[in-house]
Amino acid sequence: MKQARTLPGPALHADADAVAAGPSLALPALRPLRGRLLIALAVVVGTVLVGVSQGSADIPFTTVVRILASKTLGLGHATWPETWEEIVWQIRLPRVLLAGLVGATLAFSGAGYQGVLRNPLADPYLIGVAAGAGLGATIIMVSPLPYAFGTVGLLPPAAFAGAVLAVAISYGLARSGGVAPAVTLILAGVAVSAAASAAMSFLIMANHERAVTVVSWLLGGFNTATWQRVGIVLPYSLVGGAGVLASTRLLNVLQLDEEEAQQLGVPVERVKLLVIIAASLATAAAVSVSGLIGFVGLIVPHTVRLLWGFDYRRLVPMSMAAGAVFLILADVAARTVLSPSEVPVGVVTALCGAPFFLWLLRRNRPGGSPGGRALF
Amino acid sequence: MRRLLPLGTLFILFAALLLPFAACGDNEEQPAPTARPAVTAGPTPSAEKFPLVVGRSDGRQLTIPEVPRRIVSLSPGATEVLYAVGAGSQVVATDLQSDYPPEAESTTRLDAFQPNVEAIVGVEADLIIIAVDQDNIVEALDNLDKTVLFLEVPDTIDGVMEQVRLLALVSGHESEGERLAEEMEGRVEAVTDELVDVLEGPRIYHELDNTFFTVAPESFVGDFYRLLEAQNIAEGAPSAYPQLTQEEILDRDPEVIVLADADAGESAETVKARPGWSAISAVKNDRIYVVDPDVVSRPGPRVVEGLEELARVLYPEKFP
Repeated sequence: MKQARTLPGPALHADADAVAAGPSLALPALRPLRGRLLIALAVVVGTVLVGVSQGSADIPFTTVVRILASKTLGLGHATWPETWEEIVWQIRLPRVLLAGLVGATLAFSGAGYQGVLRNPLADPYLIGVAAGAGLGATIIMVSPLPYAFGTVGLLPPAAFAGAVLAVAISYGLARSGGVAPAVTLILAGVAVSAAASAAMSFLIMANHERAVTVVSWLLGGFNTATWQRVGIVLPYSLVGGAGVLASTRLLNVLQLDEEEAQQLGVPVERVKLLVIIAASLATAAAVSVSGLIGFVGLIVPHTVRLLWGFDYRRLVPMSMAAGAVFLILADVAARTVLSPSEVPVGVVTALCGAPFFLWLLRRNRPGGSPGGRALF
Repeated sequence: MRRLLPLGTLFILFAALLLPFAACGDNEEQPAPTARPAVTAGPTPSAEKFPLVVGRSDGRQLTIPEVPRRIVSLSPGATEVLYAVGAGSQVVATDLQSDYPPEAESTTRLDAFQPNVEAIVGVEADLIIIAVDQDNIVEALDNLDKTVLFLEVPDTIDGVMEQVRLLALVSGHESEGERLAEEMEGRVEAVTDELVDVLEGPRIYHELDNTFFTVAPESFVGDFYRLLEAQNIAEGAPSAYPQLTQEEILDRDPEVIVLADADAGESAETVKARPGWSAISAVKNDRIYVVDPDVVSRPGPRVVEGLEELARVLYPEKFP
């Protein structure tokens, strides 16, 4: 895979110069970042409110706000039906928060993977998370083991374990002499994923009475969101997000040649391992409760790059915000367009994501538009 | 790299491929512990109606020249009917889901969902009954001049009665079939007679799995609830087996919850423990019931048992 890349964006070249200048890796501060982040945060909060106010039950917006105020601040007293309170507090809010959390996680993980694998087509599922989690979850769903909803059950732990195991195997296979070259890692990931997918397909075909349940899990969704599941993902997302955020400067430098980066004193392998562990753990946790929601981890970082440039210090936090907003809105569509029925949110993201992805491919084809990067 | 797109499309492809299985898939497996006195009748099939011409689900006519001596049933519902009308000794092979009556399991086993033409032909049957035309198996067997009775799974209880009569006829047990169908119809009538004064039955949520797939009124199980005058909360859904949102379930407030997903670990206790579900009438009034998915949803002679069981669940005061 030829990595012909000319990285545009003056900020990045400035960074590289700064790196070259001193071993401290001191970079010029990104002044507009704080303002942008505040705006992004406001947009996320606004989207959460939109998400909580939408649904098949016809609850007036003011009532939604009053229920939230009463639950969080103890303001006002209940003049609404008990069902509405349960819908807003126990169903909609955890669902919206989980969608936001998973969206942010997939997006920062995607950005991180793209950075360390130095491959714009990378997404957080590339080196085994998706297939591993899918296989783990499928095994539980087709087995006679119980996986009752409302309890944590065996499903999330099995999916999590499958994802982590698959990535560990991929990394283990790719590593030799203390180095795991990006291309080897991707190839190992593809092979491990193919094997796990094949096993998963076999299990589905052999247990077709569970096929709908399994496939709907694979497509992903938040229909079974609970506060407990928010609690399961949150620590992994926070730690994983912090890990990727802490690596953003080094990710910038990594976008040069790996060898060059090494010469500049960047501990390439350590950064790679740190980002892969951080992104994979967070993604595995997200996937374990929400299934395999496609395209978020791929298209959100690219959208952010197109809008705000290639600097990872900006790319990662903005991807978090954009991922949260995108997935919350996609989930609103998933639970309202076919009401009272549910559409797997993965279908919505893929429907929005696939055309974007194709456009991206065209835009980046060799000899394509100026500023576009050759992918292959 | 190139795998990326295939991964996404693969899932959608899977969904597209497997969704048609929803109906039979969710309905047809799991062991059925309940015993039922089979209508055991004359072991010798009568030959007087043969050769016989019957209509298939694909609109074609099928001629059955003489009483079939070797029947293959690739449909668990048909298997139950055949044994119930006394044609059990003619059944030589069944599909992997045919687990009732237990004798069916000692016949040659075939796969109805990944059908193997060679294996089916190898049984040397003179009648092959198929409910799901998987992988164009019907055409493949037609091309080999096999006698293939393609009978899709009925989606109403009336449809089951029709198939009972038809399967009895083609296996040479017409009178036993008539007796069985009449007995079943009598039991259905006994239930519906009790409900003539019911104007509006309880609101019902029938759970197929714990991601809230359910049965709409157009589905086979939905027909039970329609007969029982219950108000199905999935009314108006865009498909026969829709997935509801939790919010919708809370909003439509079912008075009775029927769980067909006990095999996944669900029970009245786990439903009560679901966050937010305490606001649902069925949970408050402790009206959550577990049913055997085979008995209520497999289109065979046991549907009346299923109907009676659901009647007891919905109207405990009328059916003590």
